Amino acid sequence: MLGKGVGGGGGSKAPKPSFVSYVRPEEIHTNEKEVAEKEVTLHLLPGEQLLCEASTVLKCIQDDSGQHGICGKLVCTDFKIAFLGEESTLDDNEPQFKNKLIGENDITLHCVDQIYGVFDEKKKPLFGQLKKYPEKLIIHCKDLRVFHFCLRYTKEEEVKRIVSGIIHHTQAPKLLKRLFLFSYATAKQNSTATGPTHQTVMFDTIKDWHWELERTKGNIKYKAVSANEGYKVCEKLPAYFVVPVSLPEEDISCFQGRGIPIWCWSCHNGCALLKMSAFPKEQDESNLQIQKAFLDGIYKTIHNPPYETLKTEDLSNSFISLQEIQTSYSKFKQLFLIDNSSEFWDTDVKWFSLLESSNWLDIIRRCLKKAIEVIECLEVQNTNVLLIEENASDLCCIISSLVQVMMDPYCRTRFGFQSLIQKEWIMGGHCFLDRCNHLRQNDKEEVPVFLLFLDCVWQLVQQYPPAFEFTETYLTVLSDSLYIPIFSTFFFNSPYQKDANVHQRQLSLPLNPNKSSPKRGFFETDHLIKNLLGKRISKLINSSDELHDNFREFYDSWHSKIVDYHGLLLPHIEGPEIKVWAQRCLRWIPEAQILGGSPVAIMNKVLEMMEEVQSLQKKIDEKHNSLMAPPLDGLSLLRKPARLSSLFPFALLQRHSSKPVLPTNSWKTLGDEEDLAKQEDEFVDLGDV
Amino acid sequence: MWWGGRGRSFNIPPQKEPEMGHLRPKSMQVSRMEEPRSPQTSSCPALRCLPGEKILAWAPGVRRGLEPELPGTLMCTNLRVLFCPQGWQVRQDSVLNSDYDFSLSNIGRLEAVNGPGRPQILRPGSLLKFIPDEILIHGRDFRLLRVGFGDGGLEPLAFRVAMAIVQARKQNSQAQHYEGMILSKAYCGLGSNEPPVPLLETPEDWEAERRRHGARGWRVSTVNERFDVSTSLPQYFWVPRRTLDSEVRKAFSHFHQGRGPRLSWHHPGGSDLLRSGGFYEASDPNREDIRAVELLLQAGHSDIVLVDTVDELPTLADIQLAHLRLRALCLPDAAVAEEKWLSALEGTRWLDHVRSCLRKASDISVLVTSRVRSVVLQEQGDRDLNSLLSSLVQLLSDPGARTLHGFQTIVQREWVASGHPFLTRLGGSGGSEEAPVFLLFLDCLWQLLHQFPSEFEFSEFFLLALHDSVRVPDTPTFLRDTPWERRKQNGQFSSYTQVYTPGSPQAPPVGDLVPRPLTVWDWGLRYSHQQILQFYNPCYEPHHCSDICSPREQPTSVTPGPPRSIFLFSRGTLTPLNQLCPWRDGFSSLMSSSRWLPRHNASSDSLADQEWGLPPHWGASPLPPGLLLPGFLGPQIRLWRRCYLRGRPEVQRGLSAPTISGLLDELALLQGLLRTWASRPSSRDHMKTKDPDTPLSPSR
Repeated sequence: MLGKGVGGGGGSKAPKPSFVSYVRPEEIHTNEKEVAEKEVTLHLLPGEQLLCEASTVLKCIQDDSGQHGICGKLVCTDFKIAFLGEESTLDDNEPQFKNKLIGENDITLHCVDQIYGVFDEKKKPLFGQLKKYPEKLIIHCKDLRVFHFCLRYTKEEEVKRIVSGIIHHTQAPKLLKRLFLFSYATAKQNSTATGPTHQTVMFDTIKDWHWELERTKGNIKYKAVSANEGYKVCEKLPAYFVVPVSLPEEDISCFQGRGIPIWCWSCHNGCALLKMSAFPKEQDESNLQIQKAFLDGIYKTIHNPPYETLKTEDLSNSFISLQEIQTSYSKFKQLFLIDNSSEFWDTDVKWFSLLESSNWLDIIRRCLKKAIEVIECLEVQNTNVLLIEENASDLCCIISSLVQVMMDPYCRTRFGFQSLIQKEWIMGGHCFLDRCNHLRQNDKEEVPVFLLFLDCVWQLVQQYPPAFEFTETYLTVLSDSLYIPIFSTFFFNSPYQKDANVHQRQLSLPLNPNKSSPKRGFFETDHLIKNLLGKRISKLINSSDELHDNFREFYDSWHSKIVDYHGLLLPHIEGPEIKVWAQRCLRWIPEAQILGGSPVAIMNKVLEMMEEVQSLQKKIDEKHNSLMAPPLDGLSLLRKPARLSSLFPFALLQRHSSKPVLPTNSWKTLGDEEDLAKQEDEFVDLGDV
Repeated sequence: MWWGGRGRSFNIPPQKEPEMGHLRPKSMQVSRMEEPRSPQTSSCPALRCLPGEKILAWAPGVRRGLEPELPGTLMCTNLRVLFCPQGWQVRQDSVLNSDYDFSLSNIGRLEAVNGPGRPQILRPGSLLKFIPDEILIHGRDFRLLRVGFGDGGLEPLAFRVAMAIVQARKQNSQAQHYEGMILSKAYCGLGSNEPPVPLLETPEDWEAERRRHGARGWRVSTVNERFDVSTSLPQYFWVPRRTLDSEVRKAFSHFHQGRGPRLSWHHPGGSDLLRSGGFYEASDPNREDIRAVELLLQAGHSDIVLVDTVDELPTLADIQLAHLRLRALCLPDAAVAEEKWLSALEGTRWLDHVRSCLRKASDISVLVTSRVRSVVLQEQGDRDLNSLLSSLVQLLSDPGARTLHGFQTIVQREWVASGHPFLTRLGGSGGSEEAPVFLLFLDCLWQLLHQFPSEFEFSEFFLLALHDSVRVPDTPTFLRDTPWERRKQNGQFSSYTQVYTPGSPQAPPVGDLVPRPLTVWDWGLRYSHQQILQFYNPCYEPHHCSDICSPREQPTSVTPGPPRSIFLFSRGTLTPLNQLCPWRDGFSSLMSSSRWLPRHNASSDSLADQEWGLPPHWGASPLPPGLLLPGFLGPQIRLWRRCYLRGRPEVQRGLSAPTISGLLDELALLQGLLRTWASRPSSRDHMKTKDPDTPLSPSR
């Protein structure tokens, strides 16, 4: 996903000389080459603009009480905050894995989570207009990096400019049309606009839906409709989608797409997973009656036992609330956003209980469990399952995608997984813009739903690595790309919004007065929403106790058999089995680095063996064809002479320390100076160890 | 890679019961019960017994809990309870079955179930109130055996076997009769290609080990040959070359239990790792004695670090408590809600103990490798945490210790020969000093294995095998408290050990006048060839072994002057000491200087950074070759699920991803194919692309 837009590196603007020089200009001339090697230049993407900068900023390394740092320049563009220092040129072992867009010291504006300032050793969150400027800036990122910038040696007006600039550009509410995406797209326009033919199905044509119906053999009972072409019916739904064959087309437009069962996926036995956006809470009694009658009609078309049975899962009422996810994640991420290392050690003893009290792993467990329950209905009870949620775009997306990842091996390939995200999340109308809070308009709407989904998938990947074409690194990179405003994928609330903004470049948001407010708060009304359909049907469906027994039996019996990686895959959800996504969470913490260790070592070995297997295979093939063509060299896969660290590929290969040889606090009081001198001599002698 | 010769089966012929142990049952049943003995046992399946073992009761049953259910026979002997699956004898080539064997002392809880009611817990001496449907045996090693009994008129047998187990446990807890099975030489170690693990019971073994380490400044002392310095010390140990045995004897008397400082390991870089008991402060040594003690501690180095071993490590009681809690948590019926599992796990504090051990060991290995010095581990008793720390330090800093043979040698030297009281610590003696220090060590090692999957020659399976072996009553390795007891036993047994089997065709009949007693390292006794194959880690990268760090500075052979610097290492910092021994100035200095410093505030900078003063840009491999620095942050210390959660059938499945083994199989297949091709003419040159050094190139 990150491969696109690589070519844009050069930048439309020539970078200005960007360091404060202590040598005279003549000297620069003579040493130009050397300087060019040492100096890190600011790479701007097409359309990117430099907004403000400050020089002689110290980037502090792991908070050795603020003493140790790298001097450089802090700049803020309309795309990122970047620190230009000298560090990365020093060592010749360049990190093997580099993000082509975002360097080690780059923070995209959307990735900034929280900014703190340090005033007289006290840390305070920064927002709005500042009266006083901090001596140190701490930036917490959404990908869990933490940056410390010391501004003590920076000129005062530069401090003002950069701090207020950063705060303004990362925290102030923004308009959609001000997203960097658009300036980038405009600047990039003339270069290869249409990428190579996608193997990822985008689901933006009716053909894609036909293809998917065919693939899942759902085309007997379900049909793709184009009623919403041009978003005539509803701006929440995609232009094309799939509904039951028996559903009259005119019903679709009755309530702007609400109350319509929309097809997600068909199981091998013909049972389907459906979703439906529920009606908002209605006060008016007559409207209520109308809705009720409508739902009854819909319900009759899809539930006619014994041929077709239906079970509903009301996700708004009986499942995790978005509020819960939000609270839990904000606790969870604090475990990894560490300002200084001693903080980390203090919490270490309490690690498990802190982790547990964040509740994040339990939420993951509940999602996985819900998905297994749905699978049990589809697989064992042979019933269709209808997921209901107010907008059918948050928890519905999680559950329906998880069900498909577990049941459909196609979704465990890379392109299959990307197609799944495209189908369920992008076309499903997940409000990425609001949920990631890209525009900083409403913090309450910021809920890491997609991240929760990725974490659930990660659990599956780490429990059954051979079942997936992709690795956890893919998932980690995918989670990072949520905050890179180059790709349009994760920056819109609905396909309608995307089409409206991308195709007609003049950004005018036609406000439809009839449209129900997309910003309907989940949080204010959540407990009020009573779903008519859900209530009605739940009377017909078996009670929850029975459900639990069924679940247990299904779960146990599946786990007592041998795993078929190409078939149904159920995760373990017992206490010890749900784990922290360590790669994503720990990758920026130097203390977590294990040199030469961890899964990377195994991965290396596996790659080595695969290489060997493939070269042997090739040789056998050659023999078989009795062709004595010169043997091609085997794939040059990842070969590392050096020991990799456990943080690979996000390795911080440097460790920094300004500590003395021995802790000196006790030393000074107890030893005499002569010894101290000796000690230091010895240290110098052994310095090359 | 391939160590042939173990696949053959061997016989233990019927043998006469020697008249020796007063506890030995008189009527000894002979092994291999092939023909029916009595009407009652007429259908009892064949069981290859250990010598001295007799079958007390048996009943046909079905192993439950895992799919598929396995029919077989549950048997109770005077040594163990075992389940024999049908047809097992045919396939198996080892006497003891590792999967379904429970030695009596390993049974943690015995439950009998009848119908849906509450299971009755059977303690030694209690009476069974009903005919059981099912028996559940919870092992103290976290295994679980569920055997169900069918109908068909065999209920009395089920009742009888249950009662027999209860009886046998009672007998077992009353009388500790671990004789140690001494079988023939036919049982060797892993195979003919592996050198046998040195038992370190002869001076030759010690001398060979010393040479292997390249410890030139050291010699083997025979001062304890008759166990008169200390019964808990080995007969032989290493002392500095220049010291006389008389000096050693004198110096050792000023240490707790006579356990003075001895070499534990010599780092190729020149440092020495020593272990020692606490100073016996009530003694009043004269000037010469103090000098001798100092020489022993100094070991020719000018830089000495005394390590307070117990500091920051859990106490024995802590370990025991944590282990009990862990066992309770991992029981299949543990009443812990899934969402409370993590805090319950934290509440056991077991992982916390593992963490502190790893942390301390990693600090010490930095001390040992960062410069040439003598590092002395000092623990009052010198028999528990010293063993743990010194073994861990060696595993972290010595690639040779991470081979299977090297590791077994370390266990033999640092635990068995050094007198770790296994019997007491594992609860075999019924005393209150139970504390599974060794199991804690295995867990630490598992963490290392997990963090560095390509650095160890052995696999998790091997660790499990070792974990399960500590209570198996077949060898004296673990079931003694001191080397003296072990030696005594062997001496007593020596006249009976000639149980030579002529039936074993390839056993070397000559030159073994003193047959080796069986040790735990004779894996062929309990594990099949297939299982032993799994002891080897397919990911092992042995190339690090070749980087031998060149010695920086050998300790000078002349007596150096007084040590230039003496430090006490505690709470993660080095504190200077004025003198080594506590006695000279009214033993005040140690007391006064060993004030407990709080751990350094920014102690997150590992000691590694402090010691090396690492360059600001730490390259990819700045560590001395072969040194491992483990991670010990909260999220990095894991639960050893494959060991502790074995009793929970729902988590038993799917624990291993078959990636590596699958690839290995494919590789073997392809190579086989290629070989058939290569055997045809003119295809030799294609073989050479394979790297002959990769451990994965199986030469089978």
